[in-house]
Amino acid sequence: MGQRSLYMGEEANHPVNKPDLESYTARIKAECYAGVSNDRMNLDAGPLLRLDLTDKLLKLCQANSLWPMTFGIACCAIEMMGTGMARFDISRYGAEVFRPSPRQSDLMIVAGTVNRKLGPVLLTLYEQMPSPKWVIALGNCAISGGPFNVKENYNIIEGVDKLIPVDVYVPGCPPRPEGLLEGILKLQEKITGVRHPMPQNRHPDSPQRKVKGLEL
Amino acid sequence: MSESQFQEHNRFFLNMGPQHPSTHGVLLVILEMDGEYVLDPQPVLGFIHRMHEKMGESRPCQGFMPNTARMDYVCALPYNHGYVSLIEKKAGIEVPKRAEYIRVITSELNRVASHLLWLGAYLLDLGAFTPILYGFDDREHILDILEDVTGSRLTYCYYRFGGVAQDIDDKFADATRAFIKRLRERFDIYEKLVTKNIIFIKRTENIGIISRDTAIRYGITGPNLRGTGIAYDIRKNEPYSVYPEFDFDVPVGERGDCLDRYMVRVREMEQSLRIIEQALDMLPHGPVRSKVPKNIKLTPGDCNFAVEAARGELSYYLVGDGTSVPYRLKIRVPSYSNLSCLPELGEGILLPDLVSIMGSLDLVIPEIDR
Amino acid sequence: MIETYEIFKNNMMKLEVPVTETDFDQRGYHMEVILTVNTIREFAQTAYEHGFYLVFATGLHVLPENREGVKTSGLEVVYQFARYDRLCRIKARVSVPEDLTVPSICHIYQGANWHERETRDFYGIRFADHPNLEPLLLCEEDKDYHPLLKEEKKLKKFEAVSWPAQHPDIADIQSETLSDV
Repeated sequence: MGQRSLYMGEEANHPVNKPDLESYTARIKAECYAGVSNDRMNLDAGPLLRLDLTDKLLKLCQANSLWPMTFGIACCAIEMMGTGMARFDISRYGAEVFRPSPRQSDLMIVAGTVNRKLGPVLLTLYEQMPSPKWVIALGNCAISGGPFNVKENYNIIEGVDKLIPVDVYVPGCPPRPEGLLEGILKLQEKITGVRHPMPQNRHPDSPQRKVKGLEL
Repeated sequence: MSESQFQEHNRFFLNMGPQHPSTHGVLLVILEMDGEYVLDPQPVLGFIHRMHEKMGESRPCQGFMPNTARMDYVCALPYNHGYVSLIEKKAGIEVPKRAEYIRVITSELNRVASHLLWLGAYLLDLGAFTPILYGFDDREHILDILEDVTGSRLTYCYYRFGGVAQDIDDKFADATRAFIKRLRERFDIYEKLVTKNIIFIKRTENIGIISRDTAIRYGITGPNLRGTGIAYDIRKNEPYSVYPEFDFDVPVGERGDCLDRYMVRVREMEQSLRIIEQALDMLPHGPVRSKVPKNIKLTPGDCNFAVEAARGELSYYLVGDGTSVPYRLKIRVPSYSNLSCLPELGEGILLPDLVSIMGSLDLVIPEIDR
Repeated sequence: MIETYEIFKNNMMKLEVPVTETDFDQRGYHMEVILTVNTIREFAQTAYEHGFYLVFATGLHVLPENREGVKTSGLEVVYQFARYDRLCRIKARVSVPEDLTVPSICHIYQGANWHERETRDFYGIRFADHPNLEPLLLCEEDKDYHPLLKEEKKLKKFEAVSWPAQHPDIADIQSETLSDV
């Protein structure tokens, strides 16, 4: 049976939040608007109002109260449940409230293998989530098809990032609950720029790392 | 509105799933509803079809081992057991006694872990949040014990053709005995919290009754069948490995409702602990793995092997053709037959009762879709 | 087990269905029954009356042959039945004719409903009188894909994947093929 395309459609346009204004405009000038006059250029300058303090506060709140959606598909779902339980408590990091409804959640943890039959379902759920939203691809199947990415594959979508934009990849088959916790911390770092945004979450021995260019 | 118009107005279709907190995997059940009553539940499968049978026919038999763990990941060791026993039977490989005992001990530990997870998840479906915390806590102890010897927490690939991958030591035996002692004390907590709870009894008694005739027509096996009163357990009826050497009972229910299935599983956990204790006492010394040729040739002909997984009868059917790649590998999973009786059980019941029935059938959808 | 086998075997002889006793330790089942499309339903009804339950129903793809002028499609449907009270496993197989249609046993064993839908998904075998023969495991776009059908070069003859048999019809074919070669 012939090679078939497992690519399900266009990637959704995920709004990219570029903090450095000047290089953004410079890039647009160089790439997209070559040949257009300079007056036209200055109209496209990003958001109208930039209130930096509100922005930072908002990001801090979002990072510390991520509400995941229960989208456990296969084996990794059990490890996700285990992360929410008493031993590997995820509520320390604010992400305890697993909402069944996509309209009330802002984090989709894709835990398991995505199928050609499940692909449209995943897209529908992703589109139903309100912005800002983030996606964690948990486990090898969500990253690249995992153990099912074989020559005779006729049904598996090789990686959920062929359908939706993914923020954090957590490898493993299945990853340990500590892996998922590290994924949540990495996502918090991506949102706020700092690894442990709230000081009391930080282990006394771990360094307070700042990411260049995205500082809180 | 006239009477018939009013009745028409109340009819609608409801999609339960594929993303829903109370389906144990990705299962879509299309419900034709009349108000709050379910007229006709139709399960739709295929959302996690991962072509295990095709993979079994495309690679040498050794290469299928990781797949066996990922079909039913909650109770993966009996799946390993069935497959390695099938290939050993076909190729005539001898297994040392110590390895058989280790297989029984680890399989029974996995069965207890699976039932603990089922208990927590079932009660979470019914609305209780505390039992799942207790269940997962006890389960984490088992996972620690098994992780030391197998290397993984969930999808174990521990058995090999001719034995097991690694030997167990005294630390394993001591930890297991301490765990058994601890779990026996914890059963009192579950008794008080769940079994004697009036809300739980009201939600499970006389709901989802499976009769003997229904069981034969659908091929239901496992605790679902034992809840109806038929004592069919592959470990007793069609003994494999070293199960004949142990003394254990097969708990059965009377009416075949959700409460009976719950009681059967709780009592099965106790019987599994008995088996583990006896096996640890009788554990012989010796090697844990016999010498096996690197490339196992499967003789032409078909072969069948059945084991008792946590959910029922699991059987592998293999057709060999003289090479090391199986010509046909069919995996008969217990949840497949258990779920197919849902349209019959779910006619004309209330929606919360349907949730209770589906939880008590103990389904794991990835094994149904394979 | 022995008395069940004798009663069952007698009933099968009345229906003119060949039943062979097999070695359980070698094969994992006690009896092998060879059915045709005309005898499937009677066999299933007899099995139900004797208290057997359907374990599975699946397909097998072998090389199509020309047997006494009758062309086979190369597909087989394999059923397995077992009992709750005593240990007795029966394997029944049907050779699918060229039009790929086999009668369904859904009205006797409702559990066969899903097994037959899955066999249609994987092999393309049609089951006559099935209430809803829709795709079970494959998605709508793939319903005619039939993934478990083997490629031409990987197909093997039925004898190459069976036990070197004492079974009459296989022994005949073996002698035929030997005389051809």
